[in-house]
Amino acid sequence: MLVSWEWLKQYLDLKISEAEVCDRLTLAGLNFDGASTVANDRCLDLEVTSNRPDWLGHIGIAREIGVLFDLDLKVPAADISATSTGGACPKIVQIEDEDFCPRYIARSVTGVTIGPSPAWLANRLETVGITVINNVVDVTNFVLMEIGQPLHAFDLDKISGDTITVRQATTGEKFTAIDHRDYELHSDDYVIADRRGAIALAGVMGGKSTEVSEMTHSLLIEAADFAALPVRTTSRRLKLKSDSSYRFERGVDPEMIDWASRRCCELIVETAGGEICEGRVFAGAAAPARKPVTLRFSQLMRVLGIDVPPAEVHRILEKLGNPVQKQTNDSITVVPASWRRDIYREIDLVEEVARIYGYDQIPERAGVLLSASHQSDLDRVRNKVRTAMLGMGFDETLTRSIVSDVWAKAFQGWSLSEPLSTSMPMVKGEDRLRISLLPSLLGARRNNEKFSYTQIDLYEIAKVYLPKSKALPDERYMVGITSGHGFYEMKGVVESLVAMLNPQAKLESIPYTDPMFEEGQGAHLTLRGTTLGYLGVVSQSKCKAFGLQKAASVAELDLGALMKLAVLVPQHQDFSTQPTMNRDLNLIVDEEVSWSQLQSIGYDAGGKLVESVTFQEIFRDPKKDGPGKKRVLFTITLQAYDRTLTGEEADATIANILVECEKQTGAKLLA
Amino acid sequence: MSLNDFIKQLDDLVESASKRFEDAINQTDHQVLEETRVEFLGAKSGKLKEAQKGLGKVAKEDKPIAGKRFNEVKTRLEELFQAATDVITGGSKKGNAEAIDVTLPGLRPRLGHIHPITQTIDELKDIMGRLGFTAVEGPEIEDDWHNFEALNIPLEHPARDPLDNFYLNLAAASHGGGNQLLRSQTSTVQIRVMENNEPPIRIVSLGRVYRPDEIDATHYAMFHQIEGLLVDTNVTMADLKYVLRLFASSYLGGDVEIRFRPSFFPFTEPSVEVDMRWQDTWLEFGGAGMVDPNVLKAVGYDPEKVTGFAFGLGVERLCMRRHGINDIRYLYDSNTKFLAQF
Repeated sequence: MLVSWEWLKQYLDLKISEAEVCDRLTLAGLNFDGASTVANDRCLDLEVTSNRPDWLGHIGIAREIGVLFDLDLKVPAADISATSTGGACPKIVQIEDEDFCPRYIARSVTGVTIGPSPAWLANRLETVGITVINNVVDVTNFVLMEIGQPLHAFDLDKISGDTITVRQATTGEKFTAIDHRDYELHSDDYVIADRRGAIALAGVMGGKSTEVSEMTHSLLIEAADFAALPVRTTSRRLKLKSDSSYRFERGVDPEMIDWASRRCCELIVETAGGEICEGRVFAGAAAPARKPVTLRFSQLMRVLGIDVPPAEVHRILEKLGNPVQKQTNDSITVVPASWRRDIYREIDLVEEVARIYGYDQIPERAGVLLSASHQSDLDRVRNKVRTAMLGMGFDETLTRSIVSDVWAKAFQGWSLSEPLSTSMPMVKGEDRLRISLLPSLLGARRNNEKFSYTQIDLYEIAKVYLPKSKALPDERYMVGITSGHGFYEMKGVVESLVAMLNPQAKLESIPYTDPMFEEGQGAHLTLRGTTLGYLGVVSQSKCKAFGLQKAASVAELDLGALMKLAVLVPQHQDFSTQPTMNRDLNLIVDEEVSWSQLQSIGYDAGGKLVESVTFQEIFRDPKKDGPGKKRVLFTITLQAYDRTLTGEEADATIANILVECEKQTGAKLLA
Repeated sequence: MSLNDFIKQLDDLVESASKRFEDAINQTDHQVLEETRVEFLGAKSGKLKEAQKGLGKVAKEDKPIAGKRFNEVKTRLEELFQAATDVITGGSKKGNAEAIDVTLPGLRPRLGHIHPITQTIDELKDIMGRLGFTAVEGPEIEDDWHNFEALNIPLEHPARDPLDNFYLNLAAASHGGGNQLLRSQTSTVQIRVMENNEPPIRIVSLGRVYRPDEIDATHYAMFHQIEGLLVDTNVTMADLKYVLRLFASSYLGGDVEIRFRPSFFPFTEPSVEVDMRWQDTWLEFGGAGMVDPNVLKAVGYDPEKVTGFAFGLGVERLCMRRHGINDIRYLYDSNTKFLAQF
C-alpha cells in the first residue's frame, strides 16, 4: 500500500518524523518497505497483511498511527444534507444473490461537468501512483484510497431501463471493460447489469458502455459489498486485477459503505459541480450486529508471558476503535470495530494488545524445560547412505518431483499405474508426479554433458509417488544413483552401500528386462525375497531419448527396504583369530552357470570351515574348453574357529566343494 | 703427529662437516651447499685435502690404519654431500629406477559432496535436536483437511486458490472424494503429529513443499521448509523468543538479537515475523507465533489447558545466504560444478 505523507496529515495532527512513524508502524505490523519523494510529498511503501483491509486506506493507517502516538483521528463527516437538492436515485437495484452482494448503495449526482481534477486531488493520487483521469473518476479513486472502499461511477444516461441487477453472468456472456478489452464471462462471474446486459464486472471493473466521458452529465455512484471468493475467482480467471478487486478480496468495512458513498458524492460536487439527489437506493441488508468479545487479563500472561496494565489494555483496544462495553478486575469486554472482521475471539484481542504494547516488551524466558530428542531411524539410515555415497565419489543432487509425461513413464519398475498428474505444470510441460527418480537423474546427466563435464556421478534421495486408489498415494523414499561406468561398477556401488548398512546382508539379483536397460544388462535386486531395487546399464534407445552422448548406468533402491536391513547398532560377533588358508579354484563350467550358484555351493558344501567364497575372474578359451564354456576363477578362504587348519582338512573341504560343483553344475576343475 | 691426534682430527672434520651440510639442508640453499662442498671437499684447499697432509706425518707403522680411516672419512663426507644434494635438488640420482617427482599431484580418491540444502537441513535439525526437538516427516501429498482446514485456513482464504496450489487431478469417486494436493507448507506434519499424540509435543517438521510460482533467480515452485512446534502447559511467547534466540545464536554463532514484528498467519495467533540482528543488520528469519486455538481444537486439544508456539523457516533462503548462492535454480540444476563446491 502506497501512502502519501501529506495525505495522512489530513486526519492527524502529525508532528512526528517520518522515520519514527515508519519504525513504529513496522513494529506494529505495517512493515515499512521504503519511501520516495514525489513532487512536494513523500510516498511510503507499507506492506499490508491480508487480514488488514482497513490498512488499504489512508484513514486506517492514520488510525494506527493515532494509537501508536496517542493522537486523535479526524474523519471527515461526509455530511451531504447541505448539498443534496432533491429527487431520489432514478434507478432500482435488485440483488439476485445476497450471499454475493449483501448490500448495495446507489446515489446519483446530476449536472456534473467532467474535466481535469483540481491540483490537490491530482497531487494526492499522483503521490500514490494512481493515474489521474478526470474529476469524477479521480474522486472515486481518492475515496478508495482514503477509506479502502471501492466505488464506481456510471454514466447514468447510458444505463438503459429503470433497474440495475446484481446477478451471476451467463456462460458465454460478453463484456467490454473500461480497459476496452472484451471478456467472455462464465457463470462463476457476477455482473451489474442493466436492461441490455452487463455494465460492470462486479467488484472488478466497470464497463465501457456506461463509462464516464467528457459528455457525461449525470452519474450513478455505486458503493457495495461483494463477497471475496467470487471476486477473486473472476479476477484471477480473467487475469484482471484492480485496486477494487484487491480490496473486495480482503473485505470492506460493511458499516462505512454509506459514508464512502456520501464522501464520494460530496467530493464530486466539490470538483465537478452538480447536485446530489437526496434519496438513495439501498438494497440488501444492514451489516449484522457485532458480537462483543471478552478478554481475560490472565490470558495475557498465559499467552504472551507478560502482564499488561489493564488501563493500557483499555486504552489500546478503545483507541483501535473497539468501544469498551464493560471492564472488571479480571476482564474487559469490547465491541470489535466494524472494519476489523479479524477480531472475534479472545485471542484476537490478545494479539492486538501485544502488537501495540510492543513485542519488545516480551522478555526471553527460559520456561521451557530440557527435553530428550532422538534421531529417527530414517535420518540415521539416510545419513549412512549419504556418507557411503560421499565416500564412493557421488555428488548428491535434488531434482524436481514433478516431471513430464514422457519422463514419468520412462521407468515403471515400481508401479504400472498411470502417474498422478497435477492441476497445473510446475514448469512448462511438466505435470506428472514421478514414480521413479531415474528419469530426473538421466536429465541431470544430460545437463552436465551439455557443459562437457565428464565425471557425472550423482545420487538423489527423494520420494516417488505411487498411485493408490481411494487413498493418499504411496510415497516412498528412493535412492537413485547414476554414473558413467558399467554394470559391475554400478553393482559394486550398490553392494558397498548395502554392506555399509549391513555387512551380513545377502543381495540377490535376477535378470530384469525393461526398456530402460540394455538387453541382458538389467537386474532386479532383492533382499530375503523382497525387492530392494533395480540396476542396469541404460539402453541405447533411452540414452537417445534423454539426449545422452555417453553410456550411463543407473540404480534405484527403495530406502524403506534399506531401512529394514540396516543394522544401526552393530553387535560384536565373536570371530576366529586362527590363521586362514586360501585355495584358488579354476572351474570350467557352462556359460549358463551363474556365479551365485557356484558361490552357494561353495558355502553349502564347504560347511562351517568356509570363511568366504570370493570371485576372482571369468576367462573364456573356446579352443581348449569348447564353445559355450567359461572358466571361473575363485578363492575359497578356510578357517577354523579354535585351531589352525591342517592341510588334510583343507583338502577334504575343497574336495567336497569340487564334487558338489561337478554334481550340480557339471563343473570341471581346470587341470 | 700421533695416530690418535690424526684420528681425532678426522672425527672433528666429520662432525663439523655433517653440521654444515645439515645447515645447507635446513636452508635448502644451493649456494650454501656449494660453499660447504668447497670448504670440505675442495680439490685445492678443502679441509679434507688439508687433513690428507697429516697422513704423511703419522708414524710409518700407523699409516695403514690412518690411511683406512682417512678413506672412510672421505667416503663419509662424499655421502654427506650427496645426501644433502639429494634433499636440496629433490631427487635421487642413484640408479635408473623411475624417479618419483614429488611435485606431481597425488592420486586422489574421488569424494562426493552433500547437497547444500541437505547440509543446511542437517544443521538446523541438529540445532533443534539439541534444544530437544525431534525431527519428524510426513506425506508430501495431503488432503484439504491437513493442509488447510485443520490449520485454520478457511475456504475463502487466498492460500486455497486452485491457482496457488498443485492439486492432483483425480477422479473424485475413486479417491474417496477428498481433494489431494502437494502440500504448500510443512505445518501439515504438525497436524498429523498432534492428531496422534498427546501434549507435550516438541517436534521439528521438515521437507519439500510446493507452490506454483514462475521459476526465476529467487523463486522456485518447489522448496524446503523447516518448522518447529512446542505444545505444553504454560508455553508463552517469552519461551518462543528464548528458543528462537538460542536457535539463531547456534546457527549464526555469537550474539544474536531477536525481534518480533506482527504478521498474519492463519495457524498462529498472535503471529509474528522474526528478525535476527546479526552483524548490525536485521535479517528476516521466518514466521512464528502462538498456535491458534482453532488449530488446537482441530486436533482435539483443549486451548484452555495447553498453549504452544510454532515457527517456520524457508531452508533455501538460509542456505543461499549462508553460502552466497545468488540463483535458486542452481540448487536444482544438478550441475556437478555447482554441487562439488559444497
